[in-house]
Amino acid sequence: MNWTLALPEIVLALCGLAILVFGVVQKKGQPFLACSMLTIGAFVLTAFLVVMSPDGIGYNHIFVNDSFARFMKILSLAGGALATMLTVGYARELKVERFEFPVLLLFSTLGTMMMASSGNLMTLFIGLELSSLAIYILCAFARDDVRGAEAGLKYFVLGSLASGLLLYGSALVYGFAGTMEYGAIQTALSATSAVPMGLMIGIVFMLAGLTFKLSAVPFHMWTPDVYQGAPTPVTAFMAGAPKIAAFALLLRVMAGPFGHVAPQWQILVEAIAIVSMVFGSLAAIPQTDIKRLMAYSSIGHMGYALMGLSAGTEEGMRGTLVYLTTYLLMNVGAFAVIIAMRRKGRAVTGIADLAGLGRTDPGLATAMAIFMFSMAGAPPLAGFFGKLMVFYAAINAHLFGLAAVGVVSSVIGAYYYVRIIKVMFFDEATAPLDRRPLSLSFVSVGMGVATVGFLVVLGPVSTAAQAAAQALFR
Amino acid sequence: MQTASTLFEIAVLGPLFACMVAGLFGRMMGDGPAKALTTSIMVIAALCGSGALFTAMHIGGMPVVVQLADWIRAGSFHAAWTLRLDTLSLSMVAMVTAVSALVHIYSIGYMGHETTPTYRFFSYLSLFTFAMLMLVTSNDLIQLFFGWEGVGLASYLLIGYWYDRPSACAAAIKAFVVNRVADLFFMVGIALLFVEFGSVTYDNIFALVPAHGDDTYTLLGTHRIYETICLLLFIGAMGKSAQLFLHTWLPDAMEGPTPVSALIHAATMVTAGVFLMARMSPLVEFAPDTKAFILFIGATTCFFAATVGLVQPDIKRTIAYSTCSQLGYMFMAVGAGAYQASMFHLTTHAFFKALLFLGAGSVIHAVHDEQNMFRMGGLWKKIPLTYGAMWLGSLALAGIFPFAGYWSKDAILEATWMAHSGLGFYGWTLGCITAFITALYSWRLIFLVFHGAPRDAHLHEGAHESPVWMTLPLVLLGVGAVLAGLLLAPYYVGEGQAAFWSGAIVNAPGNTVIATLEQTPELIALVPTFAGVLGILVAYLCYVASPTIPASFATSLRPIYLFLLNKWYFDELYDHLFVRPYRALANLLWKGADEGVIEGIPHGLARMTAGTAAQAVRTQTGSIAIYAFTMLIGLVVLVSTLLVFH
Amino acid sequence: MTGGLGSIGIGPYLTVSAILLVLGVFGIFLNRKNVIIILMSIELILLSANLNFVAFSSALGDLSGQVFTLFVLTIAAAESAIGLAIVTVYFRNRGSIEVEDITMMKG
Repeated sequence: MNWTLALPEIVLALCGLAILVFGVVQKKGQPFLACSMLTIGAFVLTAFLVVMSPDGIGYNHIFVNDSFARFMKILSLAGGALATMLTVGYARELKVERFEFPVLLLFSTLGTMMMASSGNLMTLFIGLELSSLAIYILCAFARDDVRGAEAGLKYFVLGSLASGLLLYGSALVYGFAGTMEYGAIQTALSATSAVPMGLMIGIVFMLAGLTFKLSAVPFHMWTPDVYQGAPTPVTAFMAGAPKIAAFALLLRVMAGPFGHVAPQWQILVEAIAIVSMVFGSLAAIPQTDIKRLMAYSSIGHMGYALMGLSAGTEEGMRGTLVYLTTYLLMNVGAFAVIIAMRRKGRAVTGIADLAGLGRTDPGLATAMAIFMFSMAGAPPLAGFFGKLMVFYAAINAHLFGLAAVGVVSSVIGAYYYVRIIKVMFFDEATAPLDRRPLSLSFVSVGMGVATVGFLVVLGPVSTAAQAAAQALFR
Repeated sequence: MQTASTLFEIAVLGPLFACMVAGLFGRMMGDGPAKALTTSIMVIAALCGSGALFTAMHIGGMPVVVQLADWIRAGSFHAAWTLRLDTLSLSMVAMVTAVSALVHIYSIGYMGHETTPTYRFFSYLSLFTFAMLMLVTSNDLIQLFFGWEGVGLASYLLIGYWYDRPSACAAAIKAFVVNRVADLFFMVGIALLFVEFGSVTYDNIFALVPAHGDDTYTLLGTHRIYETICLLLFIGAMGKSAQLFLHTWLPDAMEGPTPVSALIHAATMVTAGVFLMARMSPLVEFAPDTKAFILFIGATTCFFAATVGLVQPDIKRTIAYSTCSQLGYMFMAVGAGAYQASMFHLTTHAFFKALLFLGAGSVIHAVHDEQNMFRMGGLWKKIPLTYGAMWLGSLALAGIFPFAGYWSKDAILEATWMAHSGLGFYGWTLGCITAFITALYSWRLIFLVFHGAPRDAHLHEGAHESPVWMTLPLVLLGVGAVLAGLLLAPYYVGEGQAAFWSGAIVNAPGNTVIATLEQTPELIALVPTFAGVLGILVAYLCYVASPTIPASFATSLRPIYLFLLNKWYFDELYDHLFVRPYRALANLLWKGADEGVIEGIPHGLARMTAGTAAQAVRTQTGSIAIYAFTMLIGLVVLVSTLLVFH
Repeated sequence: MTGGLGSIGIGPYLTVSAILLVLGVFGIFLNRKNVIIILMSIELILLSANLNFVAFSSALGDLSGQVFTLFVLTIAAAESAIGLAIVTVYFRNRGSIEVEDITMMKG
């Protein structure tokens, strides 16, 4: 049955609509908290449904469900749920205390789920747009914040540009392959020996549009400004689920329909990976605002994840998937700490504002230290395993130059992560931070435990990633 | 043999135990118990050492090898912890433990006025003794080298015992470094031995020696390998025994406390080189060129040190140069092939030199640590026992019949004469001249310190005899200085020498020097004695009868005087040749290589990274137009890359 | 693959849409005065893609291209609405819609 295949998405969409209606009909005040709780509940329910959903292709080949889709959907739902939890605490101070906020998060996550399950260029675009449009609004949600508005505007303009390029590329692919559906494109490409140039250009346009969402160089320039300007819970969401979904799309598209012409686009992905890693690690060094720092850091991370893709093997895909999992954990945790950085009721986002946190708030500082070490790739934390697997895949595919660049930029990148730890523990303490709400503590502690204990779940995660990667190549 | 072995083991391992306990628990135990423990164990060891010697000599059946433990087993390279009982080692053990026990007893008194705890000193003394015993009881060259290095370490620790004095620390380092240079050659020699014979154990080597006589070694020309090996071993001995060119550390070593000088730099450590040559006699006998070289060096050292000792104002330095000179005698004997004579002189020298040093220590103690002889004078009434001891020691040193030195020194000079070679005569001549100078400076010392008007009234007032801890060893050593030569001559170099040594020392078939010692012409045999008496008379003349003679000599022959006073300018020469260039090189490597390159690279990289980072960040201009333009450029680049690579 | 395109073939269609694309892209970064122009340029890009879809759909004789076009039109409309809303919010806070002024965050 078609609808059993898409049950999670249908349920989530209905929930979203229901919560919206619920929020509208509430008479007294803002039902923000209620709606947030309901949204989290919807996410959890959908997650269960995803885990139980069967494999298959439905709706006339536009919807695909396999272990890869399941893996990515779980990650996206986790990202969405955690972002919602992060919003709950400081919503009023951040001026986002309106019930539309969690609903938009929900719809954006729905869009990411659609992206993961796309089997057709149409669903690709629709899922992408659903997700992106919701985020554009979320960025500018705090109506009186000029930075938020600027962030939203920048993201909108550049994002639409990217979507337009993506669409143009899809058109070319459709035209020269004769069909929109992935399986059929794959057959068409493997049938011919001479691939039409138009098709290749179309693939490049699509690649450009997708790497924009990933914030990989040279389509990365929106990332620092948007991350800095948007309300921090939105940044936390942006750094998580949409990136994962964009990766899902990229992996599925590159491994599936365009897998046959891999030798041609592999070098492009390699080049993008190299430049992303190098730029991400270098440009973060002079930063003084922690949200901007996280932006550059995520540019670098995406470079590493792309290493797995440029290997072009199943092992590489698996490495990328494990890397994305660890990336989600670390990033959400780090952003939880950043949200907690408020002093006298005002948000403070400078790195210097973390000074002395080791003395004033040891728990939070420890959590942040764990996340920073993990991002630098220190064993036995989560980040190390992600890096290990992508490096391993790259070397096995004989991409030694790529691996070497990765190592060097890792070393350079370790500087700014460890600098934060140094500022927290070795600098003179300034005034302590405000008492944070329970949700933030919960998320940061939870993510800290997950990062430290990743070693324990590495096995199951790795197996699931392996299954997902295999599903891609079938 | 069992009793002998047991006594031997106690004698050798006792000091190790004493050293460990005193060293590790000295602070807890306190000085008194530490001193008591080390000294009593040392005395027991001395008694056991002598007992072992007597028992073994009576029973015979040497050599016996007692293996304590295995050490190195690497392919065909074996080294073990063993105790070799043969005459050479038994006699050395007896002598070393005896002198060490007496020095321990003496130190109780000498170090009694120290403000800091002295358990460390006694621990080091015992450590030294253990290392020396390991050296002489070894059955292979590796254990010998272990002992060799061990005594070097103990010497360093003891010379620099008063570590708050910069001069003491410098002297300790100098001793260690000069010995290290010599040890390098020694190690190469051991390695060559292993390469040639396939083993480092004495018995294995000596068994193979006659067969490989013609093997050659090619480096800077082709040489017989025996010559090369023996030369390398001798250079090691030169360093340890302060022979010419590697002697510069010995006078400076006087910075240490006087008991140290007595034990290490008179009786035991410096004699390790002589012992090595005697031990390796089966091999050295087959290296005639090296023997000639040894003879030459020994004779020259002997003369050189005596001339320098003649003009020294410091009491301990005079005796130090005397030691250097006497060691020259011992090597002369080795060069002539009379190892027995050199061992004999080694033993007698141990007694009278230790006596002289301890006596000097007693003098220094009496005048409150003044060491300049020109500030002393007229002390004989104040410290009569010390005065008597110094007389006995000097008589033995000068070789006056029937004191100990007469027998051994005359044996050496007769041996050089009976060698009937050009170098032999060279050695004999220098030896006799040195005998004259030896007597001269010995009595110079006695007359300056004990006779004449006191030059410093204050010091003279406070002078007093030393406590019994210090005078008892003097008495015992005095007895040895008188009787040792007389009693030991028949065994060491006389008719019973072959039976006594029973294979520990080997003379080559053509070497008849020891056997023909008695055949030296009468007149020749008397020359050393004559030279000695002449020296005493001249000293009396210069320092008692008309004391202005030395001063007028010094002014009229000023260049020669300065040359001698500055030790023939060896230290300055070495400073120019080695120390300064080395310092310059070290400075270059420090500033240029280490700071410049090795540290410069990370700094340079860090600066480069930071610079690039600053550049990279400037691309983020904040303008949407720029961002969009960059995206477009990126797209164009990607497409063109694709087209190019297609 | 002429299909239902007649004698002129697909070439002209692709050319026109390419020109539209280029105009749209250049419009984004060449104008300095007005953010609304940017919004219009974005629409132009989406339209060029749409044109491509229709042309190909006609050439291939496959209806899905035109179906996609309808979807894209809907989405483009939603996008415009959102874009204008964001510009309004921005203008209310900043007071200007010059592209040069949208540089509060940089570095």
